[in-house]
Amino acid sequence: MSAETVRTIIDDLGALLLFTMILILAAGQIYRAIYAVAAQSLLIAIAAAVLATATGNTDLWVIAGITLTVKTIVLPWVLHRVVRRMNVRREVEPVIPVAATLALAVMVVVMSFHLSATLGPVNQAITGNALPVGIALTLLGVLVMATGKTALNQMVGLFASENGIFFTAMAVTQGMPLIIEIGVILDVILAVLVMAIMVLRVRSTVDADIAGLDRLKG
Amino acid sequence: MTETLLWVLPLVPTVTALLMLTTRDRRILSAIDVCGSAILLALTLVLAREVAKGGPRALGVLRIDDLGLVFLLLLVVLTLAVSIYTVGWLKQAVAVGNMKAESLRSYFALVHLFVATMVVTVLADNLGVLWIAMEGTTITSAVLIGYHGHQHGLEAAWKYIIVTTIGISFGLFGTVLVSAAAAAHGAVGADAMSWSAIMKIAPMLNPGIVRIGFIFVMVGYGTKAGLAPMHLWLPDAHSQAPTPVSALLSGVLIKCALLGIIRFQTIAAAACGPAFPAEVLLVFGLTSVVVATPFILAQNDLKRLLGYHSVEHVGIVALGLGFGGTIGTYGALLHVVNHGVTKALAFFAAGKAIARYGTRDMRVIRGLLAVAPIGATLLMLAALSLAGVPPFSIFVSELMILRAGIGQGHWVAIAIFLAMVVVIFAGLLHHVGAMVFGEPTATASREPEAWSPLLGMMLLAAIMILLGLTIPASIDGLFRRATEIVVG
Repeated sequence: MSAETVRTIIDDLGALLLFTMILILAAGQIYRAIYAVAAQSLLIAIAAAVLATATGNTDLWVIAGITLTVKTIVLPWVLHRVVRRMNVRREVEPVIPVAATLALAVMVVVMSFHLSATLGPVNQAITGNALPVGIALTLLGVLVMATGKTALNQMVGLFASENGIFFTAMAVTQGMPLIIEIGVILDVILAVLVMAIMVLRVRSTVDADIAGLDRLKG
Repeated sequence: MTETLLWVLPLVPTVTALLMLTTRDRRILSAIDVCGSAILLALTLVLAREVAKGGPRALGVLRIDDLGLVFLLLLVVLTLAVSIYTVGWLKQAVAVGNMKAESLRSYFALVHLFVATMVVTVLADNLGVLWIAMEGTTITSAVLIGYHGHQHGLEAAWKYIIVTTIGISFGLFGTVLVSAAAAAHGAVGADAMSWSAIMKIAPMLNPGIVRIGFIFVMVGYGTKAGLAPMHLWLPDAHSQAPTPVSALLSGVLIKCALLGIIRFQTIAAAACGPAFPAEVLLVFGLTSVVVATPFILAQNDLKRLLGYHSVEHVGIVALGLGFGGTIGTYGALLHVVNHGVTKALAFFAAGKAIARYGTRDMRVIRGLLAVAPIGATLLMLAALSLAGVPPFSIFVSELMILRAGIGQGHWVAIAIFLAMVVVIFAGLLHHVGAMVFGEPTATASREPEAWSPLLGMMLLAAIMILLGLTIPASIDGLFRRATEIVVG
């Protein structure tokens, strides 16, 4: 593959990644947000695979494989199960209206492109516009976590944010060292399992969402 | 031989945690707990002697230098004190039904896993490993915070895991940026993330990228350290956790995050000049001291009071690092140790008082001196020390930080800092004085004081008083060498 083709593919994947992020932000039902974040992880895995073929870096193949199995299949499945166990089918109640969230998201994306302009020297030619997309995904993931009223929304936001960091790492150094990436993914799996247990535990004792509890003040 | 110790250290608490799963007997569990912590302390002392003789040691992604040693010593000493305290604390907690006898082994196992992850954060040379271990501490301690299983505990645990995970996502982002800057200067593979390798090329790194990376890391690890305005999880988590865990959270965990910040501060100081990270630290430090003050004054919940007080003291450490220079940095590192020891003591004493009165409400806890004279004295000593009264250790480190600030001419920061410290002094002593003296509340339990919590507390009180009166030459040497690493 020529460098030019790789750059085009990465740029296209970046655009799709931002699109999945918009889907997550605007998702009315938690199921849709989970499917969107699974699709997003799939795109990250494809990006890693493309970079692996282009650079011959075998570590990236491993990363692509792990991302595919863990983030595209296993973790969304866990979330899905939690949703079923909790038996919530009602709408996701946003803290701020969807239109306002999307406007905020647009601002974040513009800001990310500005920020990455100052980071020019670390941006690799081969990865095109991956850096600003990575920054935008990370920050938008945080936005989802901060504005999501339900626990599951916050977990989806965590995934999206982690995806953004992976994409950024690919953009600037063709991925973190393999052992670090594996460690990070392991942490994410454990964090999600612990969160899922907590959500279900609160659900089984009181009829409330753990993120909705607000007794501790002052 | 010494290098192998670097790998053995995190394995000790891990093996201890696994051993815990073999039994359900409370006494045997407590014995394993104390033994595991004592072995950890002994091995750390061996390592400390080797490092004092032969300088920093490294093996793979782990490395120990004098800076890490300061934090490691604090960690292992507090772990042992916590283990000793837990013996008696647990007996009482099981008796009143706060802890379920059948699930004790998972509690002990989690505590030791938590300690293991903290050991790795301190020993990590690779900044990626530092991050992984830091997220590991979040996961293990979140389970511990919600351990009591009631609604408030789970709420606090959820808030903690969400806020700190958001926070340290930023930390990872900053880490990636800094390592990209290093990679641009020829560091390859794991070297691009190794702190010692980055430090060698730090002056040549692109200052613009390191600057943005440092701000991300500051927000990220600052969240974990409890610096305002990212401290929102801290009072909830520190007040809802079981008391021994509160002591570890306030005493050690937030200090581990500070070590992460210091590692990046040294990189940023080399790449963009010391003024830039210093300014960032000053802003966060001052904000923390100011934000914590009103909450300390208006607090009714004893453990929340101590939680907010930790926000203030983390702010003071950040101020010391921000004032910089040899005195400021020495003072900040000394303050890390002093505050860790004193705050653990305060949580221990508060935990015993809370158990005696069956409430955390300070308006109900009255006349502690009459029902538990030794515990009350220790609580009073801890409060006096926390408020910054001589001859206790915190007075010494606060004075050094103050002197550094005056020496650098940061008059506004000094004025705000002094005003807040005076207000908190009055507020804290008012709260604790009212609890210790006066007529005991009728509901107070009058049973005799258990020996093991007292032993744990006295161990810490002895260190607190010793470091206030004099700093032994070996410890002074350690702090001086650690200061040199930061100041350069």
